[in-house]
Amino acid sequence: MNQKSKTVLLYRIILGAIFVVLAYALFSLQIVKGSQYKEIAERNYVRIKSLEAARGVIYDEKLNPIAVNNPSINLYYKPFLIKDKEKMADFVSAYLPISKETILKSIYDNRYSTFNEVILCENIDYAVMAAISENLNYYPELFFKVETIRSYIINNHFTGYVGRINEKEYNTYKDDGYKINSLIGKSGIERYYERILRGNAGYEIIQVDAYGRNLKIFKDNLSKKPENGLHIVLNINLDLQKYVNSLFPEKTAGAIVVINPKTGGVLAYSSFPEYDQNLFTAPISNEQWSCLIDDPQKPMLDRVINGSYPPGSTFKTVTGSFGLEKEYVNPQTLLASCIGGLQIGNRFFKCWTSYGHGRLSFIDAIKVSCDVYFYDLSKNFKLNEFAEFVRKNHLIERTGIDLPYEKKGFFPNNEWYTKRLGKNFGSQGLKANLAIGQGEVLTTPIQLCAYYAAIANDGIWKKPHLLKKAIGDRTLLYEELEENINKTLPISEKNLKLIQEGLWQAVNGKNSTGGGARVNGVKVYGKTGSAENAHGDDTHAWFACYATWDEPELAIVVFLENAGHGGSMAAPIAGKIISYYNKNVREQ
Amino acid sequence: MKNIFGRNFDWHLFSIWIILAVFGIIAITTASAAKIGDEIHLKNYYWKQIIWLMISIIAFIIVLKIPLPILDMLIYPLYLATIILLIIVLFMPPVNNSRSWLFLGGVRFQPSELAKMMMILLVSKLIAKDYLNELKMLYKALSVVIIPVFLILLEPDFGTTIIFWGSLAFMLIQAGFPASYLVIIVSPLIGLIFSFNWILFVIASLILIYYYYRESLSWVLIAFSTVFNTFIFILTPVFWNTLKAYQQNRIITFFNPMHDPLGAGYQVIQAKIAIGSGQVFGKGFLQGSQKNMNFLPEHHTDFIFSVIGEEFGFIGTFLLIVVFFVFFNRIIYLIKVVSKKEYKIAISGIFAYLLLQTFINIGMNLGVLPTTGVPLPFISYGGSNLLINSFAVAIILKYSEYRDI
Repeated sequence: MNQKSKTVLLYRIILGAIFVVLAYALFSLQIVKGSQYKEIAERNYVRIKSLEAARGVIYDEKLNPIAVNNPSINLYYKPFLIKDKEKMADFVSAYLPISKETILKSIYDNRYSTFNEVILCENIDYAVMAAISENLNYYPELFFKVETIRSYIINNHFTGYVGRINEKEYNTYKDDGYKINSLIGKSGIERYYERILRGNAGYEIIQVDAYGRNLKIFKDNLSKKPENGLHIVLNINLDLQKYVNSLFPEKTAGAIVVINPKTGGVLAYSSFPEYDQNLFTAPISNEQWSCLIDDPQKPMLDRVINGSYPPGSTFKTVTGSFGLEKEYVNPQTLLASCIGGLQIGNRFFKCWTSYGHGRLSFIDAIKVSCDVYFYDLSKNFKLNEFAEFVRKNHLIERTGIDLPYEKKGFFPNNEWYTKRLGKNFGSQGLKANLAIGQGEVLTTPIQLCAYYAAIANDGIWKKPHLLKKAIGDRTLLYEELEENINKTLPISEKNLKLIQEGLWQAVNGKNSTGGGARVNGVKVYGKTGSAENAHGDDTHAWFACYATWDEPELAIVVFLENAGHGGSMAAPIAGKIISYYNKNVREQ
Repeated sequence: MKNIFGRNFDWHLFSIWIILAVFGIIAITTASAAKIGDEIHLKNYYWKQIIWLMISIIAFIIVLKIPLPILDMLIYPLYLATIILLIIVLFMPPVNNSRSWLFLGGVRFQPSELAKMMMILLVSKLIAKDYLNELKMLYKALSVVIIPVFLILLEPDFGTTIIFWGSLAFMLIQAGFPASYLVIIVSPLIGLIFSFNWILFVIASLILIYYYYRESLSWVLIAFSTVFNTFIFILTPVFWNTLKAYQQNRIITFFNPMHDPLGAGYQVIQAKIAIGSGQVFGKGFLQGSQKNMNFLPEHHTDFIFSVIGEEFGFIGTFLLIVVFFVFFNRIIYLIKVVSKKEYKIAISGIFAYLLLQTFINIGMNLGVLPTTGVPLPFISYGGSNLLINSFAVAIILKYSEYRDI
């Protein structure tokens, strides 16, 4: 045999061998074992059934529940079992508050995934379920599942809420075991700690035939038990939280946040107006949604971390610290005499009171919140140095609180003004405005609260956080989950003492602005603020303070939108909170 | 028409190619259909495939019309172009953990498909020279193959590289490279595969030594090869133990999908259920139920054979493999009758390339071969795949016009 016909023979042998192997495998699979596989296919004997993990509960620090799981009866269908979609849609829409169009659209959307279990309606009343069940024989595509629905005990902005996963989220997270019907944290703690709360779903492998015999397609028992999510314990004190909520004046928007300066733990976190998150756990109707969105007071806005506002006079501590650190002033220096304002360039900058304060020392200037003192102080400031100093007090960058979508603060610098106003902008007036927390400077209530907490804590800045620990199969402390929770303020011990003394005087001194926050038996330090703003005639009322017993235990920021003066509106609320804490929280 | 289809135009192969492509369009239509009640919803894959078939026919005619010298001149630049495409594709977003797809407008395209064809054409051109000794032949062939293979391994796409090596082996044998040398080169695999059982290794080694002796290889070479294989046999377990558990699992799963019954194995189980449940006559056109399950995300591409098995039964699958058998048998006939050595080598390479794809794909659907993401030629949905495979058939038809008889 020559070389040529030898290779051709080799090819024929290889081709023949492959053909025989494939034909044999097909014969064995389709003819010999065909009926067995047909039965498996028809009855859907071999499948993986997912076992959902229970979502962790969210508790307050005393283990009072805030977000819990309640049982919910849900109606599902399987598209491939539908015989007559019109009839089915008519039937379901007669019992449940979903329109026929919605049902038909759902069927159309799932036309290529006909074996999926598609959810139609959640949280169905028991009586309605019973009525539907009587007719379920005619609709093999419909079936009920008892699952859970998330329920929130109080309205709040920090827990957020869970909802069904949307398409975009599904595409991002499907590798982490999410299904098209899965629940996922959409905002707040529910989103930030989604991984911890959710746990891991397990699965059960079903491989038995009609006679209950094991089909032995999977060799071992590969079922996996679900790992339930960890429960989350917050630093929130539910009693204090409820009390704080009750203090909001009617029809006022605003935010109140209470922090423990020693740890950074958030004890109370309120943003008003509030909304009921339970609306979001089941599909929300268009009317409810537009009602929330169109409300001019924006109930969905979390003002604690997502609202940034001019801080007004509460910012004078920052301006003062910068002046002291840069040695533009010392405690004895007397600056320009307040005659109800100060002429800077061709403009007269008013003090908040037209009577005038006269010549003041540093501490007195903070006590009576004299604008003129800080106008005069700011004359020597270099804007970019000042901006950098503000940044180092953590008033620009996000605090890193354990919530998603936190907003930054803002403080302008030379480059920013050059862009807006051209090269030769006059900075004196701008600096004077910034020095009293007006103009372009913006901070969020949480940033301001963390800053005042750091003053209370002798200059050690703690990252504010809601989570105390996660408990369940294992325990995780906040410190194990987050890094870099300690920072320091850029201020010397000596100068910090002066600031603290100023804040003491601003509450307890004669003619002070923050007298409304005084509480018997508690040392309260604080600063009022009344920030002019473009959105209303009345100023935003601010009060930032801290209270110490043997140690500082509370730092509080009260912020009321367009409510008037900080001293009259905000300071008394802070006083009530301190007093309540002193009586009802501390002594327990 | 005479201009396009010459005197020796092989109508047999051309007709079988058309039959396969039509078979593919029918299969894609049913694979992308879903039924709710009496309604049938069709995804638009089937008409996209029809458009691609039209484009393929145009490409077919172009290949047949181009004068041979010009086609010859294009081989080098096209080869270089494919190398560049293989580099570009490494920067593309991954699909199923592999960066093998290039996105141009709305069209997806795998440069590795083109690389296979260009490799075949270039290698056959280089090793067809009569004065080459074995070493030079091997050296020339490897220098063409090594760069694309390396780039494709980076994607990573193992299935395609296996097809590269397979085609190369067939071409070398066709060029007169002694099969026994090829066996020597491949034989270390025996050390690797039998590393878990020394008795099997010894038996295999003895059979090899007997084969080498029959082929009258020098004793020095036989001794060297055997020692080297033994070395591999001893080292493999050592190397294996240095791998991390997940790496070991990945390799085991590659060879035995049932090792991961919830991942790769689940697909194979469901594909087998689909094919088996088709029984003799199948469930009928558009009537399959398994394909709708989400277990087979690629039921119109890599797992289309299981859809054919479910809906057309043993009659359908057997008919399909018979058509494939006739197709490949015709190519063997053409290899025999083609006059020029370079063309014989090229057609052998294409033969191996199409045969291996067919075998690997069907074997994967039947659960007897690893799941590698190799599509079924002419049948699976995929425009670039159909185009390149049709291009390969066109090349065979063009070369086979030069016959001895």
